[in-house]
Amino acid sequence: MRNYWLRKILAVPLILLVASFLIFWAVRLLPGDPARLMAGMQADQKVVDSVRSRLGLDKPFAIQYEIFLRNVLHGDLGTSIRSHKPVAEEIAERFPYTLALTTVSFALAVAVGTTAGVFAAIFNGRAVDHLVMVTAISGASIANFWLALLAMNLFAVRLAWVPLLGANSWKSYILPAITLALLPSAVIARMCRASMLDIIHQDYIRTARAKGLSTAKVYVNHALRNALIPIVTIVGMNFASLLGGAVITETVFNWPGLGRLMVDAVRYRDYATIQGITLLTVAIVIAVNFAVDVFIGLVDPRIRFD
Amino acid sequence: VLHCFSTGVAAALPNLVGFSSLARGWRAALATAMVACSVLGCGPDRPAESRVTIMQLEAPLTMDPADHTASLTMDVLDPMYESLTRFDQNLEVSPSLATKWSVDSSGTKWTLELRKGVLFHDGTPFDAQAVVDSFNRLLDPDRGLAGASRVRTIVKQVTAVAPSTVLFTLTSSYASFPRVLAVTPVVSPLADKGGQLSRLAVGTGPYKFVEWKTSEYVLEERNEQYWGPHPKVKQLKWIWTSEPVLMNMSVLAGEADIINPLPPIFAEALSRNPKVKLIEGNESRVFWVALNTQRKPLDDIRVRQALNYATDRKALVRTQLRGFGTPANSPLAPADFAYDPETKGYPFDLERAKALLAEAGYGNGFALKIAVQEPDVDLVEALQGMWANVRVNLEIEGMEHGVFSQTIFGSPKQKAEQGIDCVFASWASDNTDPDYQLAPLYRSNQWSPSGANLGFYANGHLDQLLESAAAELDGEKRKALYRQAQQIISDDAPHVLLYYARDIAAQHPGAVPTPVRLLPGGRVELETKD
Repeated sequence: MRNYWLRKILAVPLILLVASFLIFWAVRLLPGDPARLMAGMQADQKVVDSVRSRLGLDKPFAIQYEIFLRNVLHGDLGTSIRSHKPVAEEIAERFPYTLALTTVSFALAVAVGTTAGVFAAIFNGRAVDHLVMVTAISGASIANFWLALLAMNLFAVRLAWVPLLGANSWKSYILPAITLALLPSAVIARMCRASMLDIIHQDYIRTARAKGLSTAKVYVNHALRNALIPIVTIVGMNFASLLGGAVITETVFNWPGLGRLMVDAVRYRDYATIQGITLLTVAIVIAVNFAVDVFIGLVDPRIRFD
Repeated sequence: VLHCFSTGVAAALPNLVGFSSLARGWRAALATAMVACSVLGCGPDRPAESRVTIMQLEAPLTMDPADHTASLTMDVLDPMYESLTRFDQNLEVSPSLATKWSVDSSGTKWTLELRKGVLFHDGTPFDAQAVVDSFNRLLDPDRGLAGASRVRTIVKQVTAVAPSTVLFTLTSSYASFPRVLAVTPVVSPLADKGGQLSRLAVGTGPYKFVEWKTSEYVLEERNEQYWGPHPKVKQLKWIWTSEPVLMNMSVLAGEADIINPLPPIFAEALSRNPKVKLIEGNESRVFWVALNTQRKPLDDIRVRQALNYATDRKALVRTQLRGFGTPANSPLAPADFAYDPETKGYPFDLERAKALLAEAGYGNGFALKIAVQEPDVDLVEALQGMWANVRVNLEIEGMEHGVFSQTIFGSPKQKAEQGIDCVFASWASDNTDPDYQLAPLYRSNQWSPSGANLGFYANGHLDQLLESAAAELDGEKRKALYRQAQQIISDDAPHVLLYYARDIAAQHPGAVPTPVRLLPGGRVELETKD
């Protein structure tokens, strides 16, 4: 088992190196010229060329990558051509907002999704089950930005119960968190139901009942605990990718997180920022994968990574 | 980033009473929740008294007025910077940091007397040397400043002849030089040397820079040391979104006091809402379809004219602009002082269009490919329908902003390879000067990628005319030359001129204690300086 973790840890720098190259290369494959975008539509070619040279984009690809890599190793992710700030500083400013929104909405999604899934499994085939499943399918199918706009119009513009823009108070979290939680809670509810249905017919559940354990204990301690494994994996991966920024939700709610930063960076071909956010996302995915592995080990002692 | 966070969480944990006694499994969950809660209060402070919030469709690109060409960035910077001249209510050039100016008979030497006793926000005195430094940074190609094109083309040298007198030597006579000065802000030489201008605005304007939170807002505060009349509003806060829907909701919810620019579809809806007041500006932006005059069949003038006759401009204004505009007859916008309402354009005449196409040998029609930015696809679809009446099949290639800007500035060879026959484009001259509208778009030395002549139009006579007009110091003679130029361009039809869109913004009438006006190009200005 120690070897397993050792191998995993040693692979991290290699993954990051390969990822950094792929990101650096892929960003430059995007059509669109950062120098033209920075200089604007009314700039003449001479000015566009001098902007390009200032940004160092007239250098050969290999040299640009070497400079990037050397800077990253010194902790410098480059400077944003849009905000003229170090990318690391820019990310540090935005990441807390994304982390907070993602955490709140995932807590909501897990709470709602698991509860709904467990109830649907317990009342399998009955009205509660159908209600949960229809709601879950609707939740997964509705375009969340559309629902978000309707909710904003009603709750923020007409009723003025919550603020419309930004992240100024706890009330600002209500609409974006619900919007973001919609899809994962639907997915969790469906997975949880399927997983629970599979488990509540197992022998050990019958044994637990036969021992005279209360129904709640049987479902929560025995069934749910085992049903959690596939759910944790899915939730972990979704959570990790959303930490890179929930692009649509953040744009609709004018949320000052990484998702909006990424949209702006792509729009203006701000290479350094795109690279920085993507590298951070890769690092987060690796870290969350680790966490999921550990968590699964804790939940199910039979699983060991030898 | 991760380091910041782990430190923050580690510092917070011991303070939690009873934390260590919690079950192990809950600790991680609680820590995560704490991180979430710790940032719940991270947002900007509560609005101060006498603050006006202005929401735009685009974030500012920089705090350096010389390093961009975006009008919505200039909006944000305008209260903090001043130029040597400025536009008054009638869009005439009037004194600002320069109190008077004169030009020699050659039109190349302009002498300006500067306002005395003015200080930059960092305390540096405003004088002739500051002006020299401010322009020299634009002239230096190694600085690579994005907004340097115009000054670099016109100005040869800037000299301080006395502490309050500065001499501009131009490469050739340029009548509109005071209009160029009006859109070239002067920056603090000290701040420029410090290399901080891209993040920190330091000018002489009635507002001082307070903070730029990249993702959220720019905050400006009244400059109590301002040389002119002090503005009524204490703070200006600039916010932005890329979603017009959100902008619309923001002004209704009162979270933005002014929104700009307002798309016509929302302007129409808001015009019926008593809670919101529309601010209508000039018609300074011309929309057109540039035709690739180097590709068949658009190299034939009859085909180009036929497309012009086949276009129902009134319908476009009615449906696409919701009436907030006028059909275009000239390549100059009505806000431009040399605009000629008498320039003969092309009335909607399908029979004439069909006859011209038949004469050119295209009576059975042909296909054209048009490059257009995604948000403008609707407009081009209207054209597609109109041109189908003369059997022209318009193939629409909707593009993302970055791809579009690269495509339209392609060389003739690149456009031929991509099969791009035409481009949907618009242009507003921020200094309402005909030279900055006509020269980049129609002179033969401005073929893309060098300039913005996107259809590779060339007419030697027009080139000469535009050169003479730019140099002509007599206003009336100059106007006459531009009158000719407008008609030549219209007759040659290197484009299908569409319409002039009116600049529109909206405001909460009660929330802004001062009149708001829109400058050419749609820049919002709180009338603080008059």
